[in-house]
Amino acid sequence: MSSRPPVDEARKRLQRARCIPDDALGLGLRPVHYPHIFEHGPDVDYFEAISENFFGPAPGPRRNLARVRSRYPIVLHGVGLNLLGHAPLDEGYLDALCRLVEELDTPFVTDHLCWTGAHGVSHHDLLPAPYVPELVALAAERADYVQRRLGLPFGIENVSSYVEFEQSTMTEWEFLAAVVREARCWTLLDVNNVHVSSQNHGFDPEVYLDSVDFTRVLQVHLAGFTCESDGTIVDTHDHAVAPHVWNLYASAWRRGGPFPTLLEWDAHIPTMPELLGELAKTREVRA
Amino acid sequence: MNRAGPGWLAEFQAHFGDVVRTPLDRSSGTLRATPDRYDAVMTRDARDGPRAPGAARLAVYNRQYWFRLFEVLKAAFPLTARLLGYWTFNGHAGRFLLQVPPRGWDIEAAGLGFVPFLEEELRPEDESTRVALLEAARIDAAWRDVSRAPLRPRYRPSDADATHLLESRLIPSEDLQLVEEHSALLELRRTLNGAGAHDRIALPPPLAQPRRWALLATEGGVRQLPLEEREAELVELLRSLTVREALARLEKACGAKERESLPAHARRWLARGVQHGYWSGIVRGERAQSQTTHV
Repeated sequence: MSSRPPVDEARKRLQRARCIPDDALGLGLRPVHYPHIFEHGPDVDYFEAISENFFGPAPGPRRNLARVRSRYPIVLHGVGLNLLGHAPLDEGYLDALCRLVEELDTPFVTDHLCWTGAHGVSHHDLLPAPYVPELVALAAERADYVQRRLGLPFGIENVSSYVEFEQSTMTEWEFLAAVVREARCWTLLDVNNVHVSSQNHGFDPEVYLDSVDFTRVLQVHLAGFTCESDGTIVDTHDHAVAPHVWNLYASAWRRGGPFPTLLEWDAHIPTMPELLGELAKTREVRA
Repeated sequence: MNRAGPGWLAEFQAHFGDVVRTPLDRSSGTLRATPDRYDAVMTRDARDGPRAPGAARLAVYNRQYWFRLFEVLKAAFPLTARLLGYWTFNGHAGRFLLQVPPRGWDIEAAGLGFVPFLEEELRPEDESTRVALLEAARIDAAWRDVSRAPLRPRYRPSDADATHLLESRLIPSEDLQLVEEHSALLELRRTLNGAGAHDRIALPPPLAQPRRWALLATEGGVRQLPLEEREAELVELLRSLTVREALARLEKACGAKERESLPAHARRWLARGVQHGYWSGIVRGERAQSQTTHV
C-alpha cells in the first residue's frame, strides 16, 4: 500500500497544481454570456471552457476566448478525450488540446472517466464502462500519458451514469480512486454527478465521498439535474443546484475544503446575474 | 503509453454503441425509445436499478444520442428544418445519421454530407418544392461552412501580378461560398426566431429573377454580397480555371451584345472580388495550368 505524503506537502502540491485560489468560484463559459462578460466583467474568479469548442479554425470562438482570457484565468474541460475507449487516444485530438493549452496558458485540464466513441463512431456522450482492474491499468496509463503530453496537471471527472454492468467487479468510486492513484493524476469531483448516480444506482453518496482523496481534487463541479417520469435522474445542467446536492457539497467541503468550485449550466441558461446569484449560494454553504 | 484496450472492451463498446444508435420509434407520433429492440447481449449485461430495469436504463443513452444530434443538425440547418417542420426534418436527419454516423470530436461536423443525402432522399409533393428545399439546405450548409472556415489574409495584387494575371489562377478564399436562390430564402433565414420557434414555415413565393450571393467570413460573422448573374458564373469558373480560360468560357456563353460589354464588366467584377476578398492568393504560369488540368 502506498503511503500518502504529509498533509502540508500534499496541500502545497495541490496549490501548485491548481494555480487558482483554493476557494475560487468559477463558471462554465457559455457564448450567450459573452456580451455581459465583456461589458461588465462579472465578479468571478475563473471560467472553464469546453476544450473542443475551440479546436476549430474559425476565428470567432478563439477571439472571444482570448478576450475572456485577458481578464480571467481559464481552465479547460474536455468532453471528447475518450479515456476508456478501446482504441488508443486520438493523437490529433491531443495535438489540438496542446495547442489550446499553450494559447491560453491554462493551469490545468480535465476530462471524464468514460468512453465517448468506438469503432470509428463518436456518440458525443459520456458513456460508462465496466469497472474492472484491467481497465484501471488502461485508464491510468492513458491519464499519465495525457498529463505528460500536456505538461500540466490532468484531472478526471466522475460522470453521471444511468446504468451499471454485470461485468463490474469494483464500484465507480473504487475505480476512480484507483485510476487517480495509479496515474498520479488529479480528480475533478462533480458532486451533482455523485448525487445523480447514487439515486440511479442506489448507493450512499457519502460512501462515495469517503473514497475521495481531497489532496488530489483540482476543483469541484456543481450543476442541476432533471427527474424523468420513471424516477431516473438525468444530468441535464438545466436547473438550479438541488438541495440534496448542496448538502453533499457541504459534506465535501467539510471533508476536503477549501477547493475551487465551478457551476455548470448548459440548457435554459439564465442571465449572468442569476448565475452569479446561484454561485453565491456556495459561500453560504461553506460558512 | 497509448495502447489499445482489450478485445472484450471493443466488443462491449460495439454492443453498447448499437444500443445507443438504435433508431427511435416514430409510429406513435412521438419519438420513443424501444428497449425491446436492443442488442440482447447488452440488455443481459445491464443491471436492473432501483428505479428501472436494465434495458430501460440503457434507453436514457439511446434518447440522448438522438435528441442531441437532432439539435445539432437543426442548429446547422435552421432554414431547412423550419421549412420541412421539425418532425419531418428529424425523420430525414435520423436516416442520414444511420447512414453517416458522427466521427471524431467535432459534433458540428455531424451535418457534413447532409445536403447530398437530401438530394437523394427528398420527395415532396412537387418538383418545385423539392428544388426550393434543396436550395435552402445548400444555403444552410454554405452558411455553416463560412462560419467554420479560418479567416486567412486576402489576396492583394502586386504590380507584377497584373502582367501575369491572365495566365494565373486565383485561389478562392477558404471561407468563400456562392449560393443561388429562386425565392427570398436568405432573407427568411435572417428572420427565423431562435430557440422555442418550432412551427413549420411556408416557402416564400418565387422571385422574378433568381439571386446569387457570395458569402464570406468577417470578424463579426458572415457577410452576404450580391452578385450579378455573369459575375457569379465568373467567380465559379475562376475556382478551377486560369483567368484567361474563365473569361473565354464566359465569353462563349454570352450573346453578341453581352460580349461587347464583357471586358468592362469583367474588370469591375475582378476588382470587386479583390476588394471583398474572394481570393487568398494567385498561382502563376505553368503551375496554374497544371493545376487546371487536374480540376
